[in-house]
Order: sequence, then structure tokens, then C-alpha cells
Amino acid sequence: MLYEQKPAMARMFFREAVTRAVREEMTLDPHVLILGQDVGAFGGSYREFDGLYKIFGPDRIRDTPVAEAATIGIAAGAAAAGYRPLVSITYMDFLMLGFDALINYAAKLRYKTAGGLSAPMVVKTTAGAQGQGVAHSQCIEAWLMSVPGLRVVAPSTPADAYGLMKTALRCDGPVVYIDHKRLFPTPGDTPVTETLVPFGKACIRRDGSDVTVVSHGYMMRVALDAAQIVAQDGISCDVIDLRSLAPLDIDTVAGSVERTGRLLTLEEGQVVCGVGTEVAIQTFERTGPKPWTRIGALPAPVSSNPVLEAACIPDAPRVADAIRALLAR
Amino acid sequence: MIYQLSVPAAVPGVEEIRILEWHGDVGSTFAPGDLIVELETHKAVVEVRAGQAGILREIRAEPGDWCAVGQRLALFSDSADKPLPDGDAAATDILVDFEVT
Amino acid sequence: MTHIDPVGALRAMLMIRAFEDALARRKEHGFQLLSSGEEAVAVGLVSALGTGDQLLTGGRSIGPALARGVAPERVMAELLGKSGGMNQGRAGRGHMSDPQAGFFGAHAVVGGNISIAAGVAMARQLDGDGGIVAILFGDGACGAGALHETLNMAAQWKLPILFVCNNNQLSVSTARDAALAVANLSDLGATFGMWARTVDGLDVQGVAAAAHDAVRHVRDGLGPAFLECTSIRLRSHSTTARETRSRAELAELQTHCPIRRHAAALQADGTLDDAQLEQMRQDAATDIAHAMAYAEASPYPTAQEALRHVV
Repeated sequence: MLYEQKPAMARMFFREAVTRAVREEMTLDPHVLILGQDVGAFGGSYREFDGLYKIFGPDRIRDTPVAEAATIGIAAGAAAAGYRPLVSITYMDFLMLGFDALINYAAKLRYKTAGGLSAPMVVKTTAGAQGQGVAHSQCIEAWLMSVPGLRVVAPSTPADAYGLMKTALRCDGPVVYIDHKRLFPTPGDTPVTETLVPFGKACIRRDGSDVTVVSHGYMMRVALDAAQIVAQDGISCDVIDLRSLAPLDIDTVAGSVERTGRLLTLEEGQVVCGVGTEVAIQTFERTGPKPWTRIGALPAPVSSNPVLEAACIPDAPRVADAIRALLAR
Repeated sequence: MIYQLSVPAAVPGVEEIRILEWHGDVGSTFAPGDLIVELETHKAVVEVRAGQAGILREIRAEPGDWCAVGQRLALFSDSADKPLPDGDAAATDILVDFEVT
Repeated sequence: MTHIDPVGALRAMLMIRAFEDALARRKEHGFQLLSSGEEAVAVGLVSALGTGDQLLTGGRSIGPALARGVAPERVMAELLGKSGGMNQGRAGRGHMSDPQAGFFGAHAVVGGNISIAAGVAMARQLDGDGGIVAILFGDGACGAGALHETLNMAAQWKLPILFVCNNNQLSVSTARDAALAVANLSDLGATFGMWARTVDGLDVQGVAAAAHDAVRHVRDGLGPAFLECTSIRLRSHSTTARETRSRAELAELQTHCPIRRHAAALQADGTLDDAQLEQMRQDAATDIAHAMAYAEASPYPTAQEALRHVV
């Protein structure tokens, strides 16, 4: 009889999982660089590069001025010329300042050179609301999903933060890697041995049979909390963590929806043209139409005001209510 | 009297910390203001200082261990020979000050 | 001291002019940004670059690509969307590239290629191979934030990059003086402590001399340089844009044509006679006719190509 051997795990903070992935990849490949504000001796705004500057020095880890457009552009140029830069953009809202280089140049470089050049770069950024107001809280990953040539990933656990970052640093095109501020305080187990998490592969975090709940990033915790709440009513949720938004793993979602017959999509960003809408449409193209509810932020900016912020962002009780309503349909 | 030191809810959102370093051994005496232990969160170090005098009697978590907020880390007493209670018997919380850096 | 072979410079400029004239004459020539009047900037600049260097440009890329030595027939095929183009016809004028020829590529978002070029320069710096990067952009790009961000970082990091502003004095219809507050565009480089100079971009030998000085500065590791070349645009902004200047103005501009001026100088000093000059014009026309024939004969990509090389 064969026993599946459970890999040895080490508990670590989210930031440590990122640090470890970057350290390993920088050690393996001298072309991996880090660019961004406060990434050097300071170790990153979230300490996600702690200790790396001492190891790899100022040539490979460069503090930049507040200049997102040029920083992403310089990274794209260095990527096109053979390097693998990781650019740290502190808040996802500031990514907009670098869209030209990222979207007009890096994402199109392979296409426009007929495969001659590519821009292997990782833009690491941080999404989500945590009391910082209308221009420091947004989740705009759905915008990025529609850009041909761009890959988008959003881990919800330190293990995936580690494995997705490693895959991102080896990817031969631009990747936007999205952390969530509210995930940082929670540690998690990561494999002790080197492990990559492939892109385009979702993960079922909780098995269930009544409804499929699909989410990513911090909203995975809300989804799992909601699943726990409705379990007391005898409702069984299949909870899927997308992990990778582009490419999307519709196989896993459609397979689940075939079993459960219902879909709830949950995200912290806007539902209009959102991640959930895209997931649902692609799923129903396979399964035919099924009862579906989408939940996201209210159609309003996310204030730093705690009452308004909380009103705007989905929470577990609201998701639980929506699950019950979906089952009652 | 026996006192317990538990993981303080020092940083909002933090549910679990890692022990960084104890600043004393079993038998060490602490005066108010003395640094007892440093705890590590995702972004900060929490210095836990004695808010009252006490003798460290038992350490329940070693550096590198992960501990949930509220989990008991150590026992203290007023006098060195006060017998320790068995297991997880309830104890009064020792007064502490903490500083997040 | 000459920095450029005067006859070779004339030949290169004639070739660019003949190429663009042939392209413009073709009935279906697409959306093109021509560089007639700006040939001396491209040819003078390129004379200072070595084989290990890279040139990047904004969208007005045809002249610079040809000056850099990209094969004219492949450029023509690329511009016409044919498979024989250096990027299989999918990049076009705005985005074509040929890194093997030292032309790292165009990026037609105004100001957009400047930071990219700095990144290529950072790669050269890290490789330590002695190569430098030149980025050519118009006066229109000088109002773009990406330029200012990049100038700062390039100066701070002493990147091996030469910023070359081809100041043709018009951004579509907006005059340079109406758009930009600085006295000289090279002042933008000087602000960041760079080697900076403004030269007459209609004088190919003057551009070449300044470009050689700038390249030496950059190659010596002294940090970036900023060269402004004041030129003229003899055609409208693009092949689909309305001409905003009067016939009289355009006729007057023709008298400043950098090719005419250089040819006249070579005739005046006895380097060339009328017959030799005419022969050079005919040679250029013949070469471009061959390039056009190659491009015409090259097939379009199949529709299935649309999904290739996306990720």
C-alpha cells in the first residue's frame, strides 16, 4: 500500500514566504533584480525583502525615487535586455502610474517582436482596504486580467505566496503578483523543500456539495468564514481559491459547479466587469447557466473612514446571507 | 501568588506571534520596567516589560515557537518557593507594559 | 576633425529620403510617421554608435532604423505589414525592432520608450560590456512625466544612456514654444547634472561631432548625456494627419533641407560634382525600388497568426 508522504512544513509570515522565494531565486539566477521604493536596506514597506540587501547588494537591489512610471519602464527595459526584475509597487493604486510601460510595452513585447523579445518581470504590489482611503485601497486586478500578454496572480496563503512568487520569477513574461495587506499578519505553513505553485491552477480549500464559492486573496478568508457560518445551517460549500487570475483555471470551477449546481463569486474589487463576472461567464460557457450571485465592494470609493470602509467591503455575515439566499432560489 | 504572562493583543489584526527572545531564565527576578520577552509580529517587534515585580518560574514557549494571542507564555510568582499550580490552572495576569517597534 | 564620412552621410540621408518618398507614393501606405527633414539627426547620431550599442526611438522610427543599418527591404515589409518584415509585419512603424542590428526598437507612445531605454542601459551597466544606449524622441515627449522621472533616475544611477531630442518644433500642430516652458530642451538634461548640448540638427556633421562627444562621455562612465538637435519636419505629423502649415511656409522650409545643405557643401568643396550627386540619387532610388519589390512580394501573415506569441 502506498502512503502519500506529507511534505515537511515550516510556519512563517507572509512576508517571510516572499523573502524566501525571492532569496532562492536571486541565488539561483543572477539576473533577478529588485527595484522599488524602500526595498534596499530598509527591507521593503512590509519587510518582504528583509536581509536581502545585505546578501545581494546595491547593484541587484535598487531603491528608487517616487517614480512608478520610470521604475516599471526601467524594469521592462532591463527585462527585455535579459534581466528578471521584480518591481515593488507599494500600493496597487499606484500601479496605474506605470501602466504604459507594463501594459503598452511589456505585455505586448513578445507579440510585437514575433517572439524575438520578451519582458520577464514581476510587478509585486499590494491590494485591499485597511483604513488607508480612496487611493490606497483598491483591488483592480480585474482590469489587468483583460490585458493579453499579462499574467496575474493573488496568493491567499504564505505557501502560495512562496510558490507563486517563485513561478513568477521564472516566467518568461510580465506577471502582476498581488498581495493583500490584511493577509500579512497571519502566518502559515510552507513546504520546507523548494516548491513551485503553477499558474492557472486553482485550489479547493474546502469540499462541499451545495454551492461553489469562488474567491481569491484576502476574500478567501471571508469565504471560508462564511462557509463555516452556513455549515451550521447544514449548507455545504465547495470553496475555491483561484490563486491565478490570468490564466484562469475554469476547469476546476466548472467541475465544482457541475457538482453543486450553484455559484457564488466573491471579490473585494468592483463586481462590474469583475473577476467574478468573468469566472461565471467562462464557467457557464461550459456548464450552461446556473444560479449565480456575485459579491464585491459597493459601487463607491473605499473610504479611510472605518464605518464607510466596512460598509463597502464584503464580510462573512453578508456572504453567508447571500449563500443562504442563493440556496433558497 | 502565581501570575501568568500571556501573548498580548498588541497589534491590531495579529492573531499569532513568534517568540523572538527571552530576557531572563527561570529564577530571574524582574522589577517594574524590566524587559521580559520580545515577540515578533509580521512587521513589528513587541517588547513586553514587567509592570510589577516578579520571579520568572516557568517558560512555556521557546524562541521560534508560534503562539496565539492569549496563549500562556510563562508563570511568575512573588516568592521563589511558592509552589506552581498543576497544568493550566487559572492564574492572575501579570501586569505588563508593551512597546511595539 | 570629421566624425563622419561626408559622402557616406549623404548616401544614408538620400536613402532615407528615397525610402520615405517611395513609401508615401504607394497608394496604400498605412499610418506612417515620416522623418523627412530630420535625416541629419538620425544619421549624425548613429555615426557615433558602435555595434554593441542599442538605439531606441519613439514612433518616428523609420529614418533612425534605416540609419542604424536595419535592412531597408525588411523595414519596408514591416511597414506594409508583410511577413518579410523584421517583426513579421506585426509591429509596424510604431513598434518595429531589430536588436541584432542595434535597433532595440520603437515604442509609439510618446515618451514611453524613454524609461524602457534606461532599463536597457541598466542591463548594459550590469553586464559591464561597455555598450551604451541612445534614445531618440521628439520635442513632444519633453512634456511627458516619464521623461523627467527617467532623467532623474538615469542621472542618479549614472546609466550609460544618451538622450537625444529630435526637436522638430512641432507636436502634431502644437508649436514647441507653445508647449514647453524651458528655454532649451537640453536644459532638461542640464538640470540633472548631465552633459547637455543643443546643436543644429540640420547639419549632419555638427550632429555627428556632438554625438561623438556625448557618446564618449557616456561610454567613459561619466553618466548620461542629453543632446538636443533642432530640426524641421517637411511633411505633416503623419500620413493621415492634416498639414497645418501653409504652402509658402513649407516651401520656405525646403530651403533648409539638411540633405540639400549637405550636398551643396560637398559640391562646394569639390568632393562631389553634379554627375556624382545625381548618380547617388539614382542609386538610392534603385535600392529602395528593390526594397519595395521585396516588400510587395512578401505575403501578409495568415489570420491564424493573430494568436501567436501573445504570452
